[in-house]
Amino acid sequence: MSTAFDILVALGGLACAGIALVAGNRIGSVAAFVIMGFFVALAWVRLGAPDVALAEAAIGAGLTGALLLRSANRLGPVREAGVPIAVHGIAACLSLALAGGIVWAFATGTAEAVYPSLVAARVGESGVSNPVTAVLLNFRAWDTLLEVAVLVVALLLVSGLAPVRIAPAPPSELVLPFLRIVVPVAVLLAGHLLWKGATAPGGAFQAAALLTGGGLALALCGLLGAGRRTGHVLVLAGLGGLALFLAAALGAAILTGGLLDYPAGSAKVWIIAIESALTLSIAAMLVSLFLGPSEGVRDDR
Amino acid sequence: MTAETIYLLSGAGLVGLAFWRLGTSGDVIRRVLALNVLAVGIAMLLLAAAQDPATVDPVPQAFLLTGIVVLVAVTAALLALGERIGGDCDE
Repeated sequence: MSTAFDILVALGGLACAGIALVAGNRIGSVAAFVIMGFFVALAWVRLGAPDVALAEAAIGAGLTGALLLRSANRLGPVREAGVPIAVHGIAACLSLALAGGIVWAFATGTAEAVYPSLVAARVGESGVSNPVTAVLLNFRAWDTLLEVAVLVVALLLVSGLAPVRIAPAPPSELVLPFLRIVVPVAVLLAGHLLWKGATAPGGAFQAAALLTGGGLALALCGLLGAGRRTGHVLVLAGLGGLALFLAAALGAAILTGGLLDYPAGSAKVWIIAIESALTLSIAAMLVSLFLGPSEGVRDDR
Repeated sequence: MTAETIYLLSGAGLVGLAFWRLGTSGDVIRRVLALNVLAVGIAMLLLAAAQDPATVDPVPQAFLLTGIVVLVAVTAALLALGERIGGDCDE
């Protein structure tokens, strides 16, 4: 029974990926990509990774799909220079060989799992009981700090390129009542995921993805305010998260002597404070990445 | 066939598909899509390799969470660049 389900999910994901990469119609191709994201999220729940599945469904499928649709609208229909059939053949053979090699390597490699026992032994000291959150915000908090820095760099790049800003159409009558329900629910769920992330699947990224969804719904209906001030507030909130994370890293270094080595006993407070700031800041940066820089930035050019 | 094997095959298939398309397509959005499919395939491989019914391995999961957020930032930056150059990689 569960094997049949796994095979269906795996084939569904592959088929949607194929359609997404081959379809001549942009909207169809992005739609297939989004559906692939949901198949993949299901697969990852089956593989025991609900944290990653949540993030993939919200960010990988949802937000990336929205970004691709936005650009598809701006770039127009697919423009493919005809590639000679020989190139197709060679690329297909090489890709098949690569896929075969990967299967062979993973099927025959016998590596001992090192991390689970190490994490299980120390998770009690981390301040949270969800091992994934413990790795992200305590054992490997350094990676997460750099990840937020990557987001800031991407935001600066997009601001510098100053793409065309989205001009939302005025919302129709049914949209406002819908938003009145969806946006508060998104905010509530984001808070829930953020708090539950300490003990159960969830955490800052998943909460930020939900907030981003709510923010984009408001922005696409023209309710977030397209003015200079909103854009500046979003960018400042984004930078603020990184600044707070850096301050926490330095503060912890002064208190304990190790970078991001939280004082014993109060780790949970530190983690929740950093995660809350990260949720707001990542959500603000993702909304800015989607919307592009504020009007003010464009006027100044 | 175990879930692990099924998703290992599926991950390898996704990586293969993505590489084939990266090599043969000149369209910006399609290339960005292929890059995203490639990342999903690699994530599938990592999770399938870390799969063990007895314990959960949180380290690859944490890497993948970081990877998903970095990938969306990269996608946004690539699409902004792509819009700027007008959608043709081959000119």
